[in-house]
Amino acid sequence: MKLIAQAGVVFAICWISLCIERILPFAMPASIIGMLLLLLLLTVRLVKVEWVEDLADLLLGNLQFFFVPAVVSIIQYLDVLRQSWAAIVIICVVTTVVTFAAAVLAVRLTLRWMERRRK
Amino acid sequence: MNELLTSPFFGLMLTTAAYAAGVKIQKKTGLVVCNGLVLAALMIIALLLAFRIPYESYNAGGSLINLMLSPATVCFAVTIYRRLEVLKKNLLPVLAGCAAGAVASVASVWALSHLFGLNRTLMMSLLPKSVTTPIATALAQENGGIIAITAVSVIFTGILGNLSAPLLVRLLRVKEPVEAGVGIGACSHAIGTAKAMELGATEGALSSVAIGLCGILTTILALLFPLLP
Repeated sequence: MKLIAQAGVVFAICWISLCIERILPFAMPASIIGMLLLLLLLTVRLVKVEWVEDLADLLLGNLQFFFVPAVVSIIQYLDVLRQSWAAIVIICVVTTVVTFAAAVLAVRLTLRWMERRRK
Repeated sequence: MNELLTSPFFGLMLTTAAYAAGVKIQKKTGLVVCNGLVLAALMIIALLLAFRIPYESYNAGGSLINLMLSPATVCFAVTIYRRLEVLKKNLLPVLAGCAAGAVASVASVWALSHLFGLNRTLMMSLLPKSVTTPIATALAQENGGIIAITAVSVIFTGILGNLSAPLLVRLLRVKEPVEAGVGIGACSHAIGTAKAMELGATEGALSSVAIGLCGILTTILALLFPLLP
């Protein structure tokens, strides 16, 4: 019963965010609008975390399961993969290193700057 | 026979069984490369190809599971909400790190896509690939990418980040837990965060903060994707 009530809250947010998606002047996926909306409702305490947390733990604890059909759909794009797999692999490897380095250096510079300001 | 294969229960049965088997194999081997999701998808694809079952038959059930991705993405707010305190304590460095990471990821994918002459569909599939799967696939779909390629690249990136994190930490002479946590979260989301948690509790907490923040920042960046050449 608790999970069904929580699903009601989350489904309502999903539907409201579809409505918001229509109104927004820019393109943003409804699911992300819903995520930001729920985060806002939680921070202003219009929604209590107890109203959604069991469902959230259930869905997020098994998040990978819900992606199985999305990954299986790659069966429709096997020729795309055959053509570009090497480029995709290189892009993933290079950007992982670049992203890590950029984030680490930005944190380091910020920490140093904060340290200097404190002195 | 055909009606039996097009029943949604066929796809539901296949997906649940393959996923359970995939997770079991992952637990048994303990290898990050043996990702439960990837193993499950490979088993299903092999089965569909071997018995010449059309993808549409599988998807009658698959689409029902796919539908639940939106509620799961919405629930991700709970994870971010639980980490708000950690974020507040480290606001400036985490914000700077995530912003730099998000911009670096999108910019490097964009530059390399042009270098390799990838078409726009593929580029849009890869642009959001450093953030968590629900956000990445939603952003790719919004901009005309192929979500299957996004999902696979996201997982691959996560595995790469997980495996290379200790090496990267040494190469960049990372000493502060904040640096390692944000770096790992920004480049390899949840799969990388598993490694961050092994490095330490602070690293793990900050890594999961970075996942949420990078997701939100990349969503903002994605508003500019349609304008990219």
